[in-house]
Amino acid sequence: MNPAFLCIAVVCGIGLSFISARSSPKGWIIGTFLSASAGIWLAGIAFLGKHALEWKSAFTVGGQTLHCVLDPLAAWFLVLLCTVGSAGALYSLSYWSENKHPRSAISARRWWTLLTASMGLLLISANGLQFLFAWEVFALAAYFLVTTDRQKRDVRQAGYLYLGASHAATLILFAFFAGIAVHTGTWDLNHLAGHAELAPLFWMALVGFGIKAGIFPLHVWLPSAHANAPSHVSAIMSGVCIKMGIFGLLRFSQWMPVPPQAGWVILTLGVVSSIAGVAFALGQHDLKRLLAYHSVENIGIILLGIGFAFISKANGHAAWGQIAMAGALLHVWNHGLFKSLLFLGAGSVIQACKTRIMSRMGGLWKKMPLTTVFFAIGAAAISGLPPLNGFVSEWLVYLGMLDALTGHGIVAGTAVIPIVALAITGALALACFAKVCGIVFLGAARSEAASNAGESPRSMLTAMAIPAMLCAIIGACPTVFWPLVAPTLSAFNPAWETPIQPESLSTLGSIHLGLWAAAACLGFVMLFSLIRSKRIRRSITWDCGYAQPSVRMQYTAASFASILTSWFFWLLHTVRHEIPPHGPFPAQATVEEHTPETVLEHMVQPVANGILRLSSATRRLQHGRVQSYILYLIIGIIGIALVVGWANPNREQPQNHSSSPYQTVSPQKTDSSISSQPCI
Amino acid sequence: MQTIVHSILHIGFWLLVPPLLPGVINKVKAWVAGRRGPPLFLLYYDLARLLRKHVVMSETASPGFILAPVIGWTALGLATAFIPFGSAGALICFKGDFILFIYLLALSRFCTVWAAMETGSAFEGMGSAREVGFAVLAEAALITALLSLCVQSGSLSMEAILSPSAGTGTLLLAAGLFTILLSENCRVPFDDPNTHLELTMIHEVMVLDHSGPPLAIILHGASVKLMLFSVLLVQAVLPVGTQSPAVSMALLLGGTAVVTLAIGATESLMARFAFNRVPLLLTTAFLLCLFALLAAWRGGVA
Repeated sequence: MNPAFLCIAVVCGIGLSFISARSSPKGWIIGTFLSASAGIWLAGIAFLGKHALEWKSAFTVGGQTLHCVLDPLAAWFLVLLCTVGSAGALYSLSYWSENKHPRSAISARRWWTLLTASMGLLLISANGLQFLFAWEVFALAAYFLVTTDRQKRDVRQAGYLYLGASHAATLILFAFFAGIAVHTGTWDLNHLAGHAELAPLFWMALVGFGIKAGIFPLHVWLPSAHANAPSHVSAIMSGVCIKMGIFGLLRFSQWMPVPPQAGWVILTLGVVSSIAGVAFALGQHDLKRLLAYHSVENIGIILLGIGFAFISKANGHAAWGQIAMAGALLHVWNHGLFKSLLFLGAGSVIQACKTRIMSRMGGLWKKMPLTTVFFAIGAAAISGLPPLNGFVSEWLVYLGMLDALTGHGIVAGTAVIPIVALAITGALALACFAKVCGIVFLGAARSEAASNAGESPRSMLTAMAIPAMLCAIIGACPTVFWPLVAPTLSAFNPAWETPIQPESLSTLGSIHLGLWAAAACLGFVMLFSLIRSKRIRRSITWDCGYAQPSVRMQYTAASFASILTSWFFWLLHTVRHEIPPHGPFPAQATVEEHTPETVLEHMVQPVANGILRLSSATRRLQHGRVQSYILYLIIGIIGIALVVGWANPNREQPQNHSSSPYQTVSPQKTDSSISSQPCI
Repeated sequence: MQTIVHSILHIGFWLLVPPLLPGVINKVKAWVAGRRGPPLFLLYYDLARLLRKHVVMSETASPGFILAPVIGWTALGLATAFIPFGSAGALICFKGDFILFIYLLALSRFCTVWAAMETGSAFEGMGSAREVGFAVLAEAALITALLSLCVQSGSLSMEAILSPSAGTGTLLLAAGLFTILLSENCRVPFDDPNTHLELTMIHEVMVLDHSGPPLAIILHGASVKLMLFSVLLVQAVLPVGTQSPAVSMALLLGGTAVVTLAIGATESLMARFAFNRVPLLLTTAFLLCLFALLAAWRGGVA
């Protein structure tokens, strides 16, 4: 199909969603699905076509020619955006309906459409200003979605924190793009590869995109924003929005030269993020905050793969780099799928139990069997267990690192650390999700609300079924997706011309299929034979002979994780409130553990307080005495005069100072003002 | 044809032989203590008896209580396919298969913990928390051990890394892997399979509520895991895969017997450690494996 036609379909779908967001939710969902399926189709064209889809506007907007490029790298993220975007939209129909939230249902739908549309624009932008515009709209739309429920104080606070962090990122990216524009003389981003002097700008990109991606320790905004947003928003935030940071990193290392140390720095960040993320997750009692910290962990895993890809790119494009990169890319998809699945599941659970605290849930499998099954699939996938998708991508990352290890090359020695770190992360994630599943879904209900919970409506279940199915499919048939990974790899690094599929990938796929089949058969045989011969009897749980176990005797989330959190005390600074039992017949005794936002409270807040103090000090300059104001004016004028006097000598010799900011930008400005005239 | 025979032999071996190991260990312990001890084939009788019995399920448990042990057992069974059998090789062999091996063990652990949490019992919660906690260190140690074999042999599949000997770091690796074996199979000094105090158990406490056929599968799975680690240890240390079939078979069986006797001897001579000392011992195992890795590294460079 013609790409132009598909683009029109995308635009029409977005338009339809906007218009019908108020009057008809059905129209809104149809519009969303229309644009999403057209988007996926476009991505397919970009994957399979020889050249990237490119479009440059004949007109200019604000002096800039719009420039869109849909190459396999952008298409990779676009597919994820379309999938999670439509699943989340479907989920929100009954989750955030007019009946439940008359005040915010319509605006939530509008912002959703704007969020997904701006992310789509971001992915295909090849002009700095256009990119920044899309980035800012995306950040603002996400802010309004996070604060959908803004009557609550926590929500507003989380929103402020998110907005602050996000604008810090935008500011840095502004400087980054301005830096590029100063060096190249244009905001257009397409021909940067030759400019070796741009490499140091990468560090700015790393911080700017790193904040968005939630790399430890830049993740401070992430837990509270994810926890306080409505769950379908958390799903897209965690599944797709933070991936925009990863996309930015990849995009500007694809188009721009990067410093040689970049790979090592990313690798280190990956190791730190993955272990710290999961350690903090273990300490959480709030279901959504826990899931949010797992995003930090999974971003870390993605960074491990990317780090190896960068190192390989800087050292002769070794083949292990592309396998690690393939793993990282696939993990972008996989994390997007299972994390949105988990957040959607968490949303259903939280709506049913009316709390986010895990220790007030329990026994939900009886009331919400399908949600339990979907959540269990997500939990097994995020713990990297075979035969699901999480294992496939982690295995590819492992394989890249192992190849580097046995290759006796430059990274052979250091590859051991990330490999062991990834293994530890996997084991910790398993511990964490064993805790979540055990405390939330199994055992007996710990509260009135949990015992009266009911299964979610069908549209919410369908929305969870989509990512759950995809998790199983990617796990069982990983080779099907290689034809999509391969062009993405060669788009990222042209030196990897035709990435060879690791031959063991197909073996892995068939083993996964075998495991599914064997487990299903044996499970069926066991259950069926027991039920048919009526050999199952129910009785109370064995509690050491105690015949009246109460629900409060069950293990809690904090006690389950206490062994592991105590190992990470140096990082988590877990606070423990304890009233120990006294006397032979203790009346009351309590233990409570709470893991604070350590990085926020011990690192960011002191700095923020310093800035606040500094800014209130400058307020003393304003006091109402006219004489002083005149003095300020004079000082200002002298300052300007000095600046002009310093800059002036440059203007006399324009040819010799082509790298000076004033020289290179101004001709471009005049050009654009001329070119914009015919339009007006 | 040969693959079919190989698979039948493989499945037959892993179905029938593993339950022998706990019997041998118990005999060794009895012999050291001067008792007659339970019969060598006790576990076989137990399994046959349990398979005929009814299941008593906790009122809070879901069908997952029965399915989880089955899935866990399947995962363990699949994990055996990557373990080579002397010079006969492994049933399945591909590059990076030992990662799958480790994660299949993790899957079986997840299933055990899931089934334990089904009951809502505080004791089983305790056992689960310990299991997943200690497994973090054990898994790190195990992967370090396998990495040292990778570096030593320069290849990335279980079959290839296990067939030659472990080189300079053999003793370190053997000590490290033996400690991991004890921890992963919940033997003394990490756990005492004979204790009857729920508060102090790990593995046994997680299966307190199981009965009938699911318990049979769990017990069989536990013996398979024990066999798995014993065979792994023997092949990691001795160059079993490079010998002629007869010699390799003799080495493998002899080696497994020695490992089993060593487990029995450890259990007879040592007491269970306090829980706060368990991480210390596991860290030691990790360090032993790390030094084995460094030794392999030096050997490879020199």
